[in-house]
Amino acid sequence: MSQTIIETNHLTKQFGSRIAVNNLDIQVTQGEVYGFLGPNGAGKTTTIRMLLGLSRPTRGSIHIFGKDIKKEKLSVLKKVGSLVENPSYYGHLTAVENLEAIRILLNAPKSRIEEVLSMVRLDKDANRPVKKFSLGMKQRLGIAAALLGKPKLLILDEPTNGLDPSGIIEIRELIKSMPKEHGVTIVVSSHLLSEIDQMATQVGIISNGTMIFQDSITALRKRAKSRIRLTVSEAESARKKLLSLGYPASFSDNRIYIENRSDQKVAEIVRQLVHEHYSVYRVEEERKSLEEIFLRLINGKGNQ
Amino acid sequence: MLQVMASEFLKIRRKMILFLIFLGPLGVIVLEAINFGVRYDYLTDLYRNDLWKGLMGEVSMLFTPSLMLGLTIITSMIANIEHETDAWKQLFALPVTRTEVFLGKWFLATILLFVFCALLAGGTIVLGTFLNYGPDIPYLYLLKKSFFPYFAAMPFLALQIWLSIAWKNQAIPLTVGIMGTILSMYSFEFPDWLPWKWPYLENSWGEPLYFVWAGLLTGTILLVTALIDFNRKDVK
Repeated sequence: MSQTIIETNHLTKQFGSRIAVNNLDIQVTQGEVYGFLGPNGAGKTTTIRMLLGLSRPTRGSIHIFGKDIKKEKLSVLKKVGSLVENPSYYGHLTAVENLEAIRILLNAPKSRIEEVLSMVRLDKDANRPVKKFSLGMKQRLGIAAALLGKPKLLILDEPTNGLDPSGIIEIRELIKSMPKEHGVTIVVSSHLLSEIDQMATQVGIISNGTMIFQDSITALRKRAKSRIRLTVSEAESARKKLLSLGYPASFSDNRIYIENRSDQKVAEIVRQLVHEHYSVYRVEEERKSLEEIFLRLINGKGNQ
Repeated sequence: MLQVMASEFLKIRRKMILFLIFLGPLGVIVLEAINFGVRYDYLTDLYRNDLWKGLMGEVSMLFTPSLMLGLTIITSMIANIEHETDAWKQLFALPVTRTEVFLGKWFLATILLFVFCALLAGGTIVLGTFLNYGPDIPYLYLLKKSFFPYFAAMPFLALQIWLSIAWKNQAIPLTVGIMGTILSMYSFEFPDWLPWKWPYLENSWGEPLYFVWAGLLTGTILLVTALIDFNRKDVK
């Protein structure tokens, strides 16, 4: 049922001898929010520019809606809304005029301007010159411009940049609602994992121009294995006791760590410790954060 | 293409561009008004055979450099609308071809400068009437004096719009354009094949039309070259 919206094959971009994007195979299916994650300078924006036909790939191909972007750029772009890097705007024009300049080119109905302005809550500032806008408002205007043509695919590069916390939440909610309400597919790039974690259903992690992880967000979360931390009296001897009883346990920082198993197993271990007259102060679950997994991935420490 | 033009015209709102289009010819006419006001008797005597043509000759001495300078500034301002906030990337992510966008900018400059020339022609008539030069206005001569330099300057229009769009740093096209304007003012001793001479229409054959055709042809060649270059580049 799900159709592939974006597909790249061995997408590569080279600037002189520097390889900015290396053999990227991106797969985005319809209705997904694809989180494109990577540290600054990893090649996210370069990739997005190639997806939009702003720059030419050195090697590799891009298909959007099953069409080769090289050959059918205009018909693809008609159905794509985008926001690349810092927002583009015409400072001397008002918000409405800015959108009008774009609307003419998209051939969208005039009423659409009001709609998108209220979607990003700029309706009150519609007739003010944009140069007086704050960065967050300019960013919203950029998002409004991206939505103007009722796109089937939205490509947003760091869309929450410069927004205040309540703005971030609004935009996040907007992004999350789009696939459900309008069947839009979204690609969102960010260097913040927490951002992607809260919006995305699919994740692609890029580092140094290479894709190091691409799967659903749940698959990424599964990597976040948890373990149980026990704080007990005489931890060192307690650990030896557990080992002798056949429970694998590790010791660090005066605490005992055991693998996260079923509730019964944990209860059993605690019961044993109590039985051996150790005082159990705390039993806690320690989750390796996504942030840690992300850092491990981009530091090239492989799969674990 | 019509949509691109509509969008371009919308984008120059509240920029000083339209103001400059009026200011240029107005400045020329005001300077000439002072010139003729101060030296009225001398100039009227000098051109007694044909007062209107005399006036038009004087006007065109100032008009051609102001056209060259105006063209430099206008093309730079038109391109800078996009450079200012890196709006090129937003523009090219829309369903328009680069050729359309480039031609749109070029065409906008062409129209604006046409208005520039037309205003000057109108201004000359107003000034001549004020000077009491009578009702026998040589309209054809006026049109030649006002629009031949425009056509002969087409290579510069293509060159300047190309440079202004290709470089974000507008110091480069502005320097080239201003140097060109200054150079052109000393062009009377140049060989005929140098384009900087063309807008002044003075050539060894005494036929200004040659420079009009040369300007249109060279302008077209430059425009096509610029288009090819523009289509090849990655958007910044």
